[in-house]
Formats: sequence, structure tokens, C-alpha cells
Amino acid sequence: MEGHGVPFWETCPENLIGDGGRHHRLACAILERDPVLTHGLAMSVGGFDPWDEDYLTDLGDFLVHTNTPWHSEHLCFTSVDGNCLHELLPLLFTREAVLHTIGRARALQSRLPVPLLLENITYYAELGAAEMDEADFVSAVLEGADVGWLLDVNNVYVNALNFGFDPKDWLSRMPLDRVAQIHIAGHKKFGDITVDTHGAEVIDPVIDLMQWTLERLGRPVPVLLERDNHIPDFQELLAERARIQVAYEAALALSGVRHD
Amino acid sequence: MIEPRTLRLQRAMASLVLDEDEAALEADPGRVARRQELSSADQGSFRDQSPGMLTYRELARMSLIDPLEDMFPVLKALLGEQGLWDACIQAFLDARVVRSCHYRDIAPAFLGWLVATGWGQERWPFLLELAHAELLEVLVTRFPDAEPLQGLHVEPGPADLVVLDPATQVVSYAHAVHRVSEAAPIPEARPTHLLAYRDCAGEARLKELTPATSALLVLAQTMPLAQAAEALNLPSLSPALDLLCDLRRAGAIAGFQSPT
Repeated sequence: MEGHGVPFWETCPENLIGDGGRHHRLACAILERDPVLTHGLAMSVGGFDPWDEDYLTDLGDFLVHTNTPWHSEHLCFTSVDGNCLHELLPLLFTREAVLHTIGRARALQSRLPVPLLLENITYYAELGAAEMDEADFVSAVLEGADVGWLLDVNNVYVNALNFGFDPKDWLSRMPLDRVAQIHIAGHKKFGDITVDTHGAEVIDPVIDLMQWTLERLGRPVPVLLERDNHIPDFQELLAERARIQVAYEAALALSGVRHD
Repeated sequence: MIEPRTLRLQRAMASLVLDEDEAALEADPGRVARRQELSSADQGSFRDQSPGMLTYRELARMSLIDPLEDMFPVLKALLGEQGLWDACIQAFLDARVVRSCHYRDIAPAFLGWLVATGWGQERWPFLLELAHAELLEVLVTRFPDAEPLQGLHVEPGPADLVVLDPATQVVSYAHAVHRVSEAAPIPEARPTHLLAYRDCAGEARLKELTPATSALLVLAQTMPLAQAAEALNLPSLSPALDLLCDLRRAGAIAGFQSPT
């Protein structure tokens, strides 16, 4: 693993907190050695279940220990009436849901030792009759909760495919000043629906969308290649990361930004 | 108190994901919305976006069921032969007992549900033991690491207590469930005593024990070895001391403790 050139890793605290054994120790050794960002899967920011205070305490300790500059969660719900569904489920695009999610995000932020970012998810159906579109919903929550944005450009692209909009138009309406991190990943089409699988190579139009965004941001932000399914040979994965790094640097060069 | 519309819609989504009767849902995905007494407009989001809603059902159920199929392959083979695996899984989902945000806790939740309900155990008296045995090595492998215990020595004496490694488990079954396979999932009915432990490399190991050794390992955790051997009518402690030395070197025993 030495000399891999990967500048940072991202880890899901739910998968490490409370775990043990050899693989856990190996993962922790990587986190001790290299810079790390943390990314939660099951906090149910838009849900109604009470916080698991014990888990939040453990999470806070984990975030401090890993020295992550922020912690990200998904803009979704994952549990209902105490039942964890282990899936990122869509929030309503309504004023009521905006206010509810803002309250939850602020409450969560107040319990974390580092800034909270929220990530836009893929959605495959609108839950309930919408009062606004996704861009307005995400913007309203980010602004109202006053949190940073983990922009997943693949999710924007997948949503654009499934709902027939222009991803660049969508991004043009968003508060890009809040972007602190970017995710990029692969996807797959099943029938009429494209699914964010994290199980395929990133395609050029998604890389193009990342570059388009970076040019407008005009500043470097960490970009994470997500791959947690059908994981290829490590060298193949490193080659893909290197390809994205080249595209990243080219975009920043175009915007006249120097980065280290 | 009036439930927020957002919560009612989230409950409808949970119902869509977890409820049984796949064929009826595919024919009428709006029925979960009707059951939740959603407004006509909100019902429409289920009725009119059938492919997207069913994608959520498939993805979430995959998240919940995949760890069970991975963790309990022999149980799945046993029940699958009778066409009952899906019924078992649906009964588990109906019970709504997946409460943890940790993905690794889904399989233990399933085992806990088998204990609580006795599902299938009238027909297959060994079913619970089989499921436990399938999970045992994973539980041992991933047992949370702890600081090394202090004040232990490496050579056992007759007055010592045995201190197992925290990950080690001594288990007794009425069936030889460690001998089954997907091709032959029905175990022989014979008392079986197993020691499950992590070796020095962190890999899980299973060792079959004699009834006497199993009983000694249990008793000698709370009673001096010589006293435990006497209680078990062992003719000599000497062979047991040699075995205990071997088990300490293998990683199953943390060490031996002098009486205080």
C-alpha cells in the first residue's frame, strides 16, 4: 500500500465504531497514518426518530480521534419508528420537510465536534406531492441549517437522467459557495431507472460535470472517488483515481487556481 | 396529536419496503399509501411512480437481506429446499427488529428474532443452533478489541482461575451443527462442544472439545482448576494443564490468574 499516492481516505464511522478484530485494526491503522474524512450512512437527518445519544458520543470521539475537518451525512431518512431500513430514502420536497430537516440538521450539528456537511442523494421517485423541486429543497435546507454541502456530482447526473433535467442548469441554481467536498462515482441502468451503484467506473460525462463545477467554484475542494461495490483490482482503482486527479487539476488550472 | 404529513409519508415508504405480498405491491403500489390514509395527491406519488417506488423496495430489501444470505448460507439452503427461506425472511422483516444503525448488526438481530419467536424450530429442532453456529465465527472474529488483561501468568497452576480471551466463546449444542454444509444442511443429533476463538493472526478458529474439557473451561473461570477438576471427577489435572497451555499459546486463553 505504500506509495499509492492517495491524498486522503473517507470512512463510514458506523462500520468502525464498536467493531473489532484484525480487519478493524488494519482499517484503524490506515486512519492513524493517513488523512481521513468521515461520512455517515444511517443518521436519518430527515427522519423523526430520536438520536441515539450513546452512538453520538462514540461518533464524537471517533471524529476527534480521526482529526477529520468535518463530518458528512446524507440528506435523507433511513429509519422510521425505530426501524433502521439501511437505505437512503428520499425526503419530501415540501416546506414542512424543509423546516423539519433544518431543525434536525441544526440539532445534529450542535452535538458534533466538527462542522456538519449534508450530501444530496439520488432519488428514484418523489415522496408525496412536491411543493418545490429538488434544487430548491436542497438549497433551502443547506441555507436554513447553515451547513456545508457535500456535492455528489454523480447523484446530480443520475437524478438528471431519471427525471430529465440538465445537470448544469440544476447546479447553476445551487449555493456553490457552500460546497466543501465533492463525491464522484459510477452508476448503472436497470430497466428505465439509473441507480447510483458505486459499482462501476466513473463515466466521462460525470467527470465533465465535476470539472464544470470546479471551474465555477474557483477553489480546490477534496474530491472522493466512491467505490464500494464490484471493487476492481487495487491498481485498476488507483489508475481511475489518477485519471480523476488529472481532470481535477486541469479544471482548477482553467479556473486559474493554484493548489497543493 | 396530529402526525406530520412528512412522518406519515415516511411510514408509508417503510411499509412499501418491508411489507409482504410482492405481487400485490407490483400490481398496486398505491395501496400502502391508502393504508396510511394519505391524501389523494400523496397517494398519487406511489401510484404514479411505480418503477421508482419498487426500486426503493428492491434496494432496501437487498440491504436488509444480503447480510442474512451471506451469513446464513446453510440455513438458507435448508429452508430454501422447502421453499421457506423467503417466508422466514418476510416474517423477520414483519417483526421490525432491525433497530441498530450498524449494518453488521442485521444478522445478530435475525438470530435474536429466531430466539424470541422460535420460528421453524418445531419442525427443525436444530435450527437455532445452526444459525448460531453460522454466526459464531463472525462474532468471534469481530469481537471488539480490549486492552490486554493485566496480572495474568502464562503457566497454569492447580490454584489458578482460567481467563479466556474476551473474544473466545465456549458453546454447547445438541447437534453437530459445525459439520453441516449447503449440500448437507441437516446435522447429526449428538452433543457437541466447541471452542471458538481468535488465533494469534486474528482469524477465527473452531475446536471441538470433549464434554469434560468444555465443562472445565467453564467452571475454571470461577473456581480454581484443581477444585473444578475434582467437581468434574477428572482422574488427573495434568493433561488438562497441558491442553490449557496449548490453548493459551493459540490465543483462546488470555492467561491464568492466581487466587486473590
